[in-house]
Amino acid sequence: MSAPASTSAPARIDELWKRIGTVLAGDGPLSARIAEAALAATGARGVTLYFREGENWIRAGEGLSGGVEPGEIPEPMPPGIFHREGDLWLPLRAEGELHGALRLLGLAAPGAPESDALLAFLLGSLVGAHRLARQVRDAEFELKARLLELESLYDLGLSLGGQLDLSSLADEVLFRSISLTDAGKGTLVLFEESGAVLLERSVGGEVLAGRDAAAWTLPEEGVINNLAASVPTAGMQLAACEKCLAVAISVPGRRLGALAVADKESRDGRVLDFTPTDARLLSLFANQAAAAIETARLHKDAIEKERIERELEVAASIQRQILPRDLPVVAGLEIAAKNVPTRQVGGDYFDFFPLSGGRLAFLVADVSGKGVPAALLVSTVHAAVHLQIDEAKTVAELIARIDRHLQKYAATRKFLTCFFGLIEPESGTLRYVSAGHNPALLRRASGAIEQIKATGVPMGMFPNASWTEEIVTMERGDLLCVYSDGITEALDAADEEFGLDRLARLMSAGAPGGICGKVFEAVEAFAGDVAQYDDQTLLLLKRT
Amino acid sequence: MSESCKVSSERRGDVAILWTDGYINNQGGEEIAREAYVHLEQGARGLVLNLEKTRIVNSIGISILIEVLEKVMDRKGALAFCGLTPTIDKTFRIMGLAQYAEIYPTQEEAIRGVDAKTA
Repeated sequence: MSAPASTSAPARIDELWKRIGTVLAGDGPLSARIAEAALAATGARGVTLYFREGENWIRAGEGLSGGVEPGEIPEPMPPGIFHREGDLWLPLRAEGELHGALRLLGLAAPGAPESDALLAFLLGSLVGAHRLARQVRDAEFELKARLLELESLYDLGLSLGGQLDLSSLADEVLFRSISLTDAGKGTLVLFEESGAVLLERSVGGEVLAGRDAAAWTLPEEGVINNLAASVPTAGMQLAACEKCLAVAISVPGRRLGALAVADKESRDGRVLDFTPTDARLLSLFANQAAAAIETARLHKDAIEKERIERELEVAASIQRQILPRDLPVVAGLEIAAKNVPTRQVGGDYFDFFPLSGGRLAFLVADVSGKGVPAALLVSTVHAAVHLQIDEAKTVAELIARIDRHLQKYAATRKFLTCFFGLIEPESGTLRYVSAGHNPALLRRASGAIEQIKATGVPMGMFPNASWTEEIVTMERGDLLCVYSDGITEALDAADEEFGLDRLARLMSAGAPGGICGKVFEAVEAFAGDVAQYDDQTLLLLKRT
Repeated sequence: MSESCKVSSERRGDVAILWTDGYINNQGGEEIAREAYVHLEQGARGLVLNLEKTRIVNSIGISILIEVLEKVMDRKGALAFCGLTPTIDKTFRIMGLAQYAEIYPTQEEAIRGVDAKTA
């Protein structure tokens, strides 16, 4: 209930004193209670309370949307109580600072100067207290925001420590970066080791394109550019933002990505400058992200390594199943054969096929490629030979049939070199086809060495290819040496190959088993500690 | 994530449910406040803010939510949140929102909670 307009100054002050306790103890926003008290104390028909926010004035109770109209507030505000356009204005001051103004509507004339001054003083003090309370609240909010930053850094560390999915990890870092810097938008880009973009995430719009970020020369400490609209950042123009903050995501010696946020928001809609505190916070996020991304990458590498190990084990198992466990015993022949698989299981294959009439067919093949695909091709060849060997009339026909089988059924487009021989121990006649295989060696009993060169192209390479069958006679005491290039191309520390000459010099008049052992000893001694990446296969056949 | 926060709402008795979709920043906060004030003016006593489609909130958005909360409390009403990500849940607790507004896992629990407070 308001006092009548004619109320005397002492009565107004009395009314104000009565109301003051209610104002301080009442419910609702303080600004509304102050206005209510002023209304009751003065008998005005209406009251508007203005607060001063920096250089701006706002109407109390309307938040930032309560901006005043031009000319609504007298500028500069007179120091004392004044009358203007039918309203009484009380500038509200406390401790010499102007906090606001009270506009008492419809008070045609000021009351007693001392009572109005007391009214202004009391209400000014209340507004000052109100402002102080808001400052305390704002300071408390700021304090909580700093606490939130610290908690976020801690949480991010915990969360990223167990996060192995790069996509989730990127989201986590980007969301927190945008949130805690009050940015309007942000982008996180991760690169592959090659520099190609591995992953790109944006919120609120793209700050920088991944392809550009890859070429971006970004210093470790990050870049604050509060004039992004007109000034390129670290040699790069950013799109669609006014102000930006960017940091590199890197580990020693390698750049993993970039993190950029843009357009720091304020409550009144202005775009604020990013501060060094924002830059430090973003750098801390980037450092945590870098450590987590590196951990995720190492984990991925470990999984890949495990996968390869498993694949190699499968390939080795296939190869073990296919290679003959025992050497055939054939009258008139001494035989030795050995295969040493490398760690990266290749595609060497040898086999024997005892035939009617005491004859013996044999082969050494070397499939292109490594691992499971090569092992599967070896398996296909193995099956094809066993299927076709009784059907073909000549060695050349057999090779052609196997080739057609490979062209039709092999799952992978790979090829193989192959030496296929058919020997009649009684006569010493050796029929053979060498499909692009390394030259075999024929050591005559006299000690002379002859090379048996390829009679056609590798198998699986060209459709409708054909091979010539050659015949050579092995005399008693002659030794045939068929091998894979893993032996002649074994490398030593100086990157020199073992070579055909060294192999030829090891061919002697001794038993094949002994020679075989010496060859492998020699190759091993030659290579020393150098890891070899190709299977080594040797097949020796001596006519006795 | 969409560039601007979208807010939709529905009135169920004395309670208005607001769903947000996107970043609660200055723009998102203003959208929420606008929608909330309409319901308060129309007599809603309780507000439930379902944030299940929001993954980021900044301090400007939080300060607007505090303004909304103050307005609800001035009217002796109640406000509750639901569908918060763990990060936003923790943010609200640290920033003091959870002192005056309850946080519930589900929307139905939030509605029941607000109903009970405003009954």
